Amino acid sequence: MTGVGLLTRFALRRSRVLVLAWAVVLTSLCYASAAATDGLYPTSADRVSAAESVNASSALVALYGPIVDVHSLGELAMTKTTVTYAVLVMALVIALVRRHTRVEEESGRAELLGGLAVDPRAPLVSAIAVGAVVSVLVAGLAAAGDVAGGLPVVGSLWFAGSWLGIGLVGTGIGAVTAQVSADARTCGAVAAGVVAALFGLRALGDTTSAGWLAWLSPFGWSTRLHAWSGPRGWVLLLDLALALALAVAALALRAHRDLGGGLLADRPGAATGPRRLADVIALNLEVHATTLAVWTVACALLGALMAAIVPGVGSLFDSDRARELMERLGGVGAVQETLVAALVSVGAVVITCFVATVVGHAGAEEQDGRTEEVLATATTRSRAFAAIAVVALGGAAWLLLVTGSAMALGSLGTQVSAAGVLGAALVQIPAVWVVAALALLAVAVRSGWGIAGWVLVVGFFVLGPLAELLRLPGWVAGLSPYSHVPKVPAQPLHALPEVLLTLLATLLVLAAWWRYRERDIG
Amino acid sequence: MDDVSRSEQEVIAVRGLVKTFGRTRALDGLDLSVRAGEVHGFLGPNGAGKSTTIRILLGLLRRDAGEVRLFDGDPWSQAADLHRRLAYVPGDVTLWPNLSGGEVIDLFLRMRGARPDHPWRGELLERFQLDPTKKGRAYSKGNRQKVALVAALAAPADLLILDEPTSGLDPLMEEVFADCIAQRRAEGTTVLLSSHILSEVERLADRVTIIRDGRAVETGSLAQMRHLHRSQVRAEVAGEVPDLSGVPGVHDLSVEGSVVTCTVEPEGLSAVLTALTGAGVRTLTSAPPSLEQLFLDAYRGEPVP
Repeated sequence: MTGVGLLTRFALRRSRVLVLAWAVVLTSLCYASAAATDGLYPTSADRVSAAESVNASSALVALYGPIVDVHSLGELAMTKTTVTYAVLVMALVIALVRRHTRVEEESGRAELLGGLAVDPRAPLVSAIAVGAVVSVLVAGLAAAGDVAGGLPVVGSLWFAGSWLGIGLVGTGIGAVTAQVSADARTCGAVAAGVVAALFGLRALGDTTSAGWLAWLSPFGWSTRLHAWSGPRGWVLLLDLALALALAVAALALRAHRDLGGGLLADRPGAATGPRRLADVIALNLEVHATTLAVWTVACALLGALMAAIVPGVGSLFDSDRARELMERLGGVGAVQETLVAALVSVGAVVITCFVATVVGHAGAEEQDGRTEEVLATATTRSRAFAAIAVVALGGAAWLLLVTGSAMALGSLGTQVSAAGVLGAALVQIPAVWVVAALALLAVAVRSGWGIAGWVLVVGFFVLGPLAELLRLPGWVAGLSPYSHVPKVPAQPLHALPEVLLTLLATLLVLAAWWRYRERDIG
Repeated sequence: MDDVSRSEQEVIAVRGLVKTFGRTRALDGLDLSVRAGEVHGFLGPNGAGKSTTIRILLGLLRRDAGEVRLFDGDPWSQAADLHRRLAYVPGDVTLWPNLSGGEVIDLFLRMRGARPDHPWRGELLERFQLDPTKKGRAYSKGNRQKVALVAALAAPADLLILDEPTSGLDPLMEEVFADCIAQRRAEGTTVLLSSHILSEVERLADRVTIIRDGRAVETGSLAQMRHLHRSQVRAEVAGEVPDLSGVPGVHDLSVEGSVVTCTVEPEGLSAVLTALTGAGVRTLTSAPPSLEQLFLDAYRGEPVP
C-alpha cells in the first residue's frame, strides 16, 4: 500500500519524544517494582502473606487484579504493573493512534496527503503500525527492566507478552474509536470510556462470583495468562485476535466514511453566541468545559476508589520492612493515614496532567493563529494570559477539591478522619500550582514550549524514585515541589512549606505574565 | 474643506520600520501611509513582509526600529484600546473546532466591544451564503474566511485591516466582498487591503503601496503610477512594418506579419505613433498598464527564484 512505510517512519519521528518519555517512565516503573520487592519481602513467608493480603482485599483486587500464585516473587513484584500500569500502555498507544489519524484529519493536514500518491487507507494503516511498533518496544523494555531488577527471564518475557497484548488491543481500540466522531476530543473520550469499561468489567469479574466477566476484558486476560508460573500462552492469542478484529473493523469503518467525517453526525451548533461568551476568559472556559467535566467525574471516581482501598490496607503491611516503606512514603503515622497521604500525592500528579493539557493547548492555540485573532480584538495581553492561568490554576485546585471531597465522603465511618482526608488533598494545591506556574512560564517564554507541562509532570514524578534508586543526594529529589508537601493527615500540617510553595508559584506566575506581555505573538 | 482635512489625516503612519527574526530581516526600513477614508492596497509577493507589517500594526509583534502610529497611537502599548476602532481578517483563519461559526462571529464582535445584533450581521450571512450553525471544524477554508469576514464587517469600524481576505473565496464571493468594501468605503471606513490579487486591488484601492523584501518600492495612486509606467501598444499597419527597435523607451517588441506589439514608456509614445502613422495604421489599441504590469515592473531586476 503506497505511503505506509513513509508515513509510519514520519509518525514515529514526530512522536519520538512522547514515546521515549512514556517508555522511560514505564520501564523505570517495572525496574523499580522488580528491584524493590526482594528487599521488601525477603522471605518466602513474607511474600505469601503479602500476596494473600492483596487477594483478601476486594479493593486491592479491584485495583490491581488477583495474585494467582501467592508463592511467586515475580507476580508479587508486578502486582501493580500487570493490570493497573498496563492502562498506561493502552493509553499511550490510543493517544498515538488518535494523534496520527483523527487529529491529523481535524487539523486538515491529512487532506494534504490526500492529494499525494498515498493510498487513502495508508494513514490509518500506518497509525496501526505505529501502535504495534510502540507496543513491541514498550513490552521489550518492560521485560528488560524486570530482568535487570532481578526477576526470572522466562516470567519477565511472558509478563512483557501481556503488555504487548494490551498494547495491540489498545492500538485496535484507538483505530476504531478514531472513526467515531469528527471531533478528536470526542474520539478520545469514547476511547477513555472503552478503557474504563474494560477495566471495570475485569474488576467486577475479579471481585464477584461472576468471574466470567473478567474473561470479557483484555485486562482480565493479563492475570489469567499466569505469566510467572505455568504460563498459558494461548491467552495471548485472545489479545492478538481481538487486536486484528479491531484493526479490520477500523479499516472497514474508514472505507465507509469521508476524510474528516465521523460516524456520529456533527450536531449543528447555535447560530448566535451566548451573551456570556464575550471575552477571552469565558472563551477559554468554554473551550475546556468538556475536558474539565470529564476530569471532574474522573477525579470523583478516583477519590471514591482511593477511599475504598484505605480500610483494607491494614493487613497488607504486616512486615516491618513494608511498614518502613509506607512510613518513608507518608512519614510517621498510622498506616492508613500514611496511605491516604501517599494516594493523594499520586492523585496530585495525575491532576497536574490536566494542567499540562491546558497549557499545551494554549501553546497550540497560539501556533495555530487563534491567539492572534483574539489579541486583534480589544483583548489585552494580560487578559489573554489570565484566561490560561485561570483555567490551569483554578482547574487544578477544583479537581483536588473534588478528589478530596469524594475521598472524604468515602472515608466517613472509617477510622480515618474525613476532614484529614480533605486536608490531605487541599495541601497538594500549592505544589501543583508550582508545576503549573513553571509550565505557564515556559509557554509565556515561547509558544512552542507548550509541551513543558508534560515534561515537568513526568520529570518530577520519576525524580523521587529515581534519586532513591541511584542514591543521589537528597536535594535532587527535593527539586520536586511534590516532595515538600506536608504528609497530611499522617503528619501535622506545617504551614511554612505551603506558604513558600504558594509564594514561589505566585512569583513564577508573575514572571510568566510579565514575559507574555513583552514578547512577540505567534 | 472637511474632505481635505480628513484626507490629510493619516490613520496608519509607518516610517523606516525594521523587524528581524533571528538573522532574517523581514522588514527593512518600510514606509507606509494610509489616509483616513481611503482603501489602501498593500501589494507584494509571499514573504515580502505584508503580514509582518500588519502584525506590528496590531501590536502582536514588537518593532526593532522605526516609527509606527495607528490612529496617532502606539500600536504596541495601546493595542487593546486601538483595537476597539478596527476589525481584522487574517489571511489564514483558524476557528475553534467545537464553536459554531455564529458563536465565533458574536464572540469576535463582543471582544471588539461591538454589539452582535447589528442588522448587517444577518445581511452579510445571507450575502456570503454562510451557515452559522456549523462547527468550526466542519468549515472549508473559504467558509472559515467568510466567518472572519462577517465578524469584521458586521459592525461599524473606523479601520479594516484585511490580510489577503479573499483567499479561498470563489469568484462569486469575491464579488460580494468587493461590494461590501466599496460600501464601507462610501461610509468613510479606512481599509488596508493586503493582497496579491492585483485585479481586486486595482478595482478597490485608491492608493497602493508595493513592497518587496521588507521595503516599499512604490507608493501612490494608481493614476500616478500609470504616468510613470508604460503603455501596451498593439497596431496593425498597411505598409511595411517600421523598425521600432531603435526608438528610445520601446520594450518587449514583437512583430508578427503586419501586427506589431510593444510596451512604450511615456516619453517614447510620440515617436512610436509617428512611425506607425507613416506606415499607415489599420488598427491601433493602446491600453494603460494593468496593475499586473506595474507589479511585474516593481519586481523587475529581482533574481529569478
